[in-house]
Amino acid sequence: MPLKPPSGTFPLWRRLLVCSSIIVCLGAARAETTVEIVHYFNVPGQLDGLADIQKDFEAANPDIKIKFTYIPFAELVSRTVQMAAVHKPPAISCIDNPDVRYVAKSGVLKDISASVAKLPTWQDTYPGPKHSVTEGEKVFGVPIGSNSLAIFSNKKMLSDAGITDPPKTWDELTADAAKLTKSPVYGLVFSATNTEESTWQWEPFLWSDGGSLLDLSAAPAKQSLQLWVDLIQKGSVSKDAVNWNQGDVANQFISGQAAMMVMGPWMLGQVHKSGLDFEVTPIPVPKEGEKPVVPLGGEVWCVLKGDPKVEAAAVKFIEFVQDSDRLEKLCNTFNYISSVRSVAKKQGEANPELQPFVLQMDTARARPEEGGANYTKVSLAARTAIQQAITGQATVDAALADAAAKIKPLAAKK
Amino acid sequence: MRQLEAIRARGATAPEAGGRATPRRRAAWRTALSSYSFILPITIFGLFLLVYPVLYSLALSFRDATVETFVGGDMPFVGLSNYEQILASSTFWQALENTVVFTFCSILFQFAIGFLLALFFQNRFPLKNVLIALLLIPWIAPVLTAANTFKGLFNEVGPINQIAHLLGIPTVPWLASPGFALAATIVANIWIGFPFNFILLYSGVCNVPPEIYEAARIDGASYWRRVAHITLPILKPVTVAVLMLGTIYTVKVFDLVWIMTGGGPANTSHLLSTYAYQVGFSILNFGQAAAIATVIVALILSLNLFQLVLQRR
Repeated sequence: MPLKPPSGTFPLWRRLLVCSSIIVCLGAARAETTVEIVHYFNVPGQLDGLADIQKDFEAANPDIKIKFTYIPFAELVSRTVQMAAVHKPPAISCIDNPDVRYVAKSGVLKDISASVAKLPTWQDTYPGPKHSVTEGEKVFGVPIGSNSLAIFSNKKMLSDAGITDPPKTWDELTADAAKLTKSPVYGLVFSATNTEESTWQWEPFLWSDGGSLLDLSAAPAKQSLQLWVDLIQKGSVSKDAVNWNQGDVANQFISGQAAMMVMGPWMLGQVHKSGLDFEVTPIPVPKEGEKPVVPLGGEVWCVLKGDPKVEAAAVKFIEFVQDSDRLEKLCNTFNYISSVRSVAKKQGEANPELQPFVLQMDTARARPEEGGANYTKVSLAARTAIQQAITGQATVDAALADAAAKIKPLAAKK
Repeated sequence: MRQLEAIRARGATAPEAGGRATPRRRAAWRTALSSYSFILPITIFGLFLLVYPVLYSLALSFRDATVETFVGGDMPFVGLSNYEQILASSTFWQALENTVVFTFCSILFQFAIGFLLALFFQNRFPLKNVLIALLLIPWIAPVLTAANTFKGLFNEVGPINQIAHLLGIPTVPWLASPGFALAATIVANIWIGFPFNFILLYSGVCNVPPEIYEAARIDGASYWRRVAHITLPILKPVTVAVLMLGTIYTVKVFDLVWIMTGGGPANTSHLLSTYAYQVGFSILNFGQAAAIATVIVALILSLNLFQLVLQRR
């Protein structure tokens, strides 16, 4: 059998017709816009949330395809910037909120202030999350949702130790943690590891005491670091806290090695799965009646400069997600608090475990409020001081004085 | 070069079908071309994946490369400024010192343990091959697994401290104390690396002709004399290779320390590799990270040169 058809039966004009129709078909397929979203979400709940949103959005916008690309947490910023540098930017990057203004400085992010101004949810966004994405008049993204820190307590251990309510003040925290410590169980656990996690976990104590990372030689910084040092030196917190990231911290709590932990809402799912009986309460404050001030976590949908058609599709996607019902569903699957006040209120009313986080949202602060685009360097200096003090390498005063000296030129530069 | 000339000469003298001068030269050229085409893949591979990144990293180390300057591509040339800033940071010197201590202690113990085991396995005994296979497990185990296991072992309330407590030895929070964190990572690295030393030295030991030992024994040489004057000298080439490879592997260790301590507490257990990673990916100062990487490359190259000289002698 000859594979090639005899030339007579397939004249040139027909071949041309076939070819051109194929090209037209390909062209039609190309008319579809692909919105690539880079992110580092890897918890099953979060992935389900993203998949749902993708399905809904693609159904409503058949000409736009969403493509999620996973990048490990540590590489997200550098990869985003790299992709932009070689003119293949993703449409959207889900950047951690303290990094947004820093990345914006490189000029890869699109100012979407005109689009967000029209969104009803933007007017209702808490000041903290708003601050983290705004530089002057410019807006570089819309928060996916927020998270922060609170105290998780093991109910059984607390009642066994005769404690009726989880600690509300620093004094109660110190006393309760000591009471709950019975070898091999520690009263409390937090993360003081050599990454951003330790600064982030210390900030609620520093800020609730009225302190600032930009003024580490002041009294609130000394008092709040002394609180941590005392907890560790009394043995209420394991010395290994300097090596534990937040995943390790949660494991300690879940496996019953610690009675209380400093943790955020994204761990709720995992703690629930363990079947542990626990409750969540706000961060203890220095004196009764004061308001806790916690740092804000959470990622931001940031649109990258590129093909105008893709940019428009990306903005469309973000607007789609800002629908308050969709936002509530997404934040609930993420175990995040919505950055939009009305949505967050609803979440808190429906779920008592989220309520402490919702209540803290009004006073919560964006981390770049201290140091702006230099926040990462400020944080590095602060966490070195934290580690030096709690490992006994330096006194609280000396460690903080050293860090304050490093931060001073950074704060001036902005 | 000499080989190529030989090939060309062979091509020139080879019998040809045409018999005329031009085809002969063309055939020679073709032979040379096909010879070059054999080394083409490795040359391209080397240029793109080895030479280019190293040169790029070197170039980056002289530029102000941060997230801000990276995208515009206008990373300004800043001369030695990155190096000045690196050399002025106490963490860098701590990391350099740690790298030297880490490498020296790891290699010393890995080699000593590997060598003693190789000597032991010179004897014949039952289950010998099974034991050899078992000894290779640390080398096969993924570093991720090993590092997390050791992180657990060195935990403040982990097995090591529990045993010490039972024996009445005062315990330390290994990974949480500035004085012991590096030591703990060295212990873990020795465990990971000794099988590599052992297996190479063992194969070397197996190649020592038994007659030499026989003769020495007849002459009345004691066991350790035989080891010192027969085994060690014969093993010299293997030893140099083992030490060289071991040193290169150890200077660039990253994952183990990153997982066990993250360079902490308070930056006391940073190696140059983990410090470079922190500067590059956490502080996002690519220029300074490249400067540290250049120091690592220079360190490894100078060690290589030193060992090549040793090998020549």
